[in-house]
Amino acid sequence: MIGTSRLRSPLAFSETLFEQMSPLNAAIKKMALYEFHYALENLYPDSGWDSVELDSEEEIERMISQRDFYEAIQTKPRLKDRIVLDESIARLTRMLFVGLVRGEYSQGWINKLFYFDVRGFYFLPRTVYFTETALAHFGGKPFRCFEPRQKRFENIQDIGYLDFQEANLEIDRALIESIQKLIQVRGTPILITLAGPTAAGKTEIVERLLDTFEKMGKKTTTIEMDNFLLDRDFRDNKPMGKETTHFELFKQCLLEILNGKRITIPRYDSLSASSSHDLEGNLRPGCLPLEIEPADIIFLEGNFPFQMEEIAGLIGLKIVYLTDDPVRLKRKWKRDIDYRKNYDPAHFRNRFFKTQFQRAEDVYRPQIEKCDLVVDTTAATLWATSEITDILGSD
Amino acid sequence: MSSTPILSEPRLFSESLFDKMKLVSSGIQELELYEFRYGLADLLPKNGWDTIQLESREQIEARVNSRAYYDSIQIKPRVGDRIVLDVEIVRLTQMLFVGLVTGEYPPEWVSTHFYFDIRGFCFLHRTTYFTERVLAHLGGQPYRRFEQKQKQLEHLQDIGYKVFREANEEVDQLFIQSVTKLIASHGTPILLAIAGATAAGKTEIVERLGAAFQQAGQKTTSIELDNFFTDRDEREARGVDSQGKEAMHLDLLMQALEDITHGRPISTPVYNFIDGSSSHDLNGRLKPGRTPIEVKPADIIFIEGNFPFLIEEILHLIGIKVVYLTDDHVRMKRKWKRDMDYRKKYDLSYFRNRYFKDQFIMAQFAYIPQLEVCDMCVDTTGAALWTTPEIAEILDQG
Repeated sequence: MIGTSRLRSPLAFSETLFEQMSPLNAAIKKMALYEFHYALENLYPDSGWDSVELDSEEEIERMISQRDFYEAIQTKPRLKDRIVLDESIARLTRMLFVGLVRGEYSQGWINKLFYFDVRGFYFLPRTVYFTETALAHFGGKPFRCFEPRQKRFENIQDIGYLDFQEANLEIDRALIESIQKLIQVRGTPILITLAGPTAAGKTEIVERLLDTFEKMGKKTTTIEMDNFLLDRDFRDNKPMGKETTHFELFKQCLLEILNGKRITIPRYDSLSASSSHDLEGNLRPGCLPLEIEPADIIFLEGNFPFQMEEIAGLIGLKIVYLTDDPVRLKRKWKRDIDYRKNYDPAHFRNRFFKTQFQRAEDVYRPQIEKCDLVVDTTAATLWATSEITDILGSD
Repeated sequence: MSSTPILSEPRLFSESLFDKMKLVSSGIQELELYEFRYGLADLLPKNGWDTIQLESREQIEARVNSRAYYDSIQIKPRVGDRIVLDVEIVRLTQMLFVGLVTGEYPPEWVSTHFYFDIRGFCFLHRTTYFTERVLAHLGGQPYRRFEQKQKQLEHLQDIGYKVFREANEEVDQLFIQSVTKLIASHGTPILLAIAGATAAGKTEIVERLGAAFQQAGQKTTSIELDNFFTDRDEREARGVDSQGKEAMHLDLLMQALEDITHGRPISTPVYNFIDGSSSHDLNGRLKPGRTPIEVKPADIIFIEGNFPFLIEEILHLIGIKVVYLTDDHVRMKRKWKRDMDYRKKYDLSYFRNRYFKDQFIMAQFAYIPQLEVCDMCVDTTGAALWTTPEIAEILDQG
């Protein structure tokens, strides 16, 4: 059989795999073979590479497109006192490695469905964000395209913010100018939301937008949606929605601030998981609400801003800010692992693998299908609905 | 005190520190302020920056140059179930941060004595390897110095082998040529020992030398000093550490080196690291059922091990004694990439504590003594090749 001897000898295996992996991932070309070999050792199967059984391409495709697969991923499996990579994540990467070496899976097929993260040293499925419905919602093609300068990140293993910002310069500028124009046309006060997956660059772009508006002499403010949450005890683990928030109060507050009024909103304390307001929406004795001054531009911050129909109707501009999974993962290596030292690295790898598919399905795809603008920083494209295109394209 | 507002206001403090740190570490210039703050958040003192008591510069210098300080560093201190950074390491970094912000410690002074590792987000003491005695032994100045290309790596947070190798190309080339020349002048068989601290680039340079010799048609082999360890139980019973000649089958080692330098095949003990047993008993006799390692004669015999020329008894047998040096801050960045990112070997805090603790101790115990008796030293960071005057003379002939 082809490759049998290569499978038996760990060194020959890693040499062949190194060659096969180089075209798949530009960062691998920067590694010395022995570095690749070191990283590979952690995945070496107890009974050798030839003990790895391969699923067919169809089986693998089916597996990674099913929610069950991701739900079964454990984020903190332990071996003695160490958190390790989840067994099915490790198995997938081993299969792809062996399949590449044996020639059973083509590089093209792997590259279409997976990306390889060098620091994590594992394959992850590519998440689909633009569904058919989303494409139809945006008329099938982007409103503006720029040079995708994030391509230069392909050969690096982690990404700091200054480089990220620089790569997104054109697309970010186009977004800022578009929003300025839309605000002019739609008038103020206006409620804006910007949703996006972890490490897409949400916080940074919102800060820059606030800065821009303030320089234009506009008053800005932000409302944290989380402040409208009910006590955790009353939420029964349900996601944010009508039943888990002070909904009437929420709606009322948004209406008032849109009428230029100062508002008083509940305050949610995440440490005690409790609201300053009771279930009837009355301030509890001894609790302090939050006062929010009227403003021209109000950013509504939160993960699921347009999940609630009645609220969605009040939002003047709904934006989704997207960055591809491989790039976000590299940003998180730098930000969350190197700088913040937030997680155990194995926990981090498991969690990122597990949650992207679920989040896309629950949160981002539905929001993309309903929003006004999508920024795809990786492709350097700006997507707009026909209504928005009409406004933006009018000069 | 005029600086108090800054110390009691974390946002002002981090902004001011960020500016000062750019002078101390060029890699900081590639950070955005919020990223710097994320790194800093782990070191924020419970009761604020203004609670940090500063020591005088003299006190700090005395402390970081005393062995007791490093002996006291704990490598696995725990809070809850997490290993954390040792308190002394945290305290040093906090003091330097506050002193930089208040102006008590000038950036130049900080840079002279310390380097800042961005990924570890802590200061470490710069270890001195070239003591007066080492300098005197090596003729006071390098045999040859090149452009210091590792300076181009200063802004990086971690270093992979390819960029490291590229930066060292000139000094490595000269080193390989020089060794070749020395071997030609000395004749073969010859024993060649290369000592160097962790991640200095030892293994890689040994591999390149080996390849160069083989291309020239010379046979090479290597002898692992670790294989000459005696049984672990027996060493523990005698209370000897694993780093001196007391831990070894010294007679067997001397005999083996003697034989192989005379072109005779040898058989050496094997040490099993898993069960801590040697293939040979204390009288140097092969235990029943064990197999020794057979080493065929070769032209060039590499002696592998961390401290090959700390053992006086074998010193005269080694034809060429080399120390391969790379500065601590560069080695640490290599280890971030190799041991943390690729091998995923250690807990993050354990790694930082251990690296902080070990460099001074190992320099005193192993590297300075070896520099004092070596023939050549490659300083990859200084891009310099150092030799004794005798070796320089040989290299300068023809």
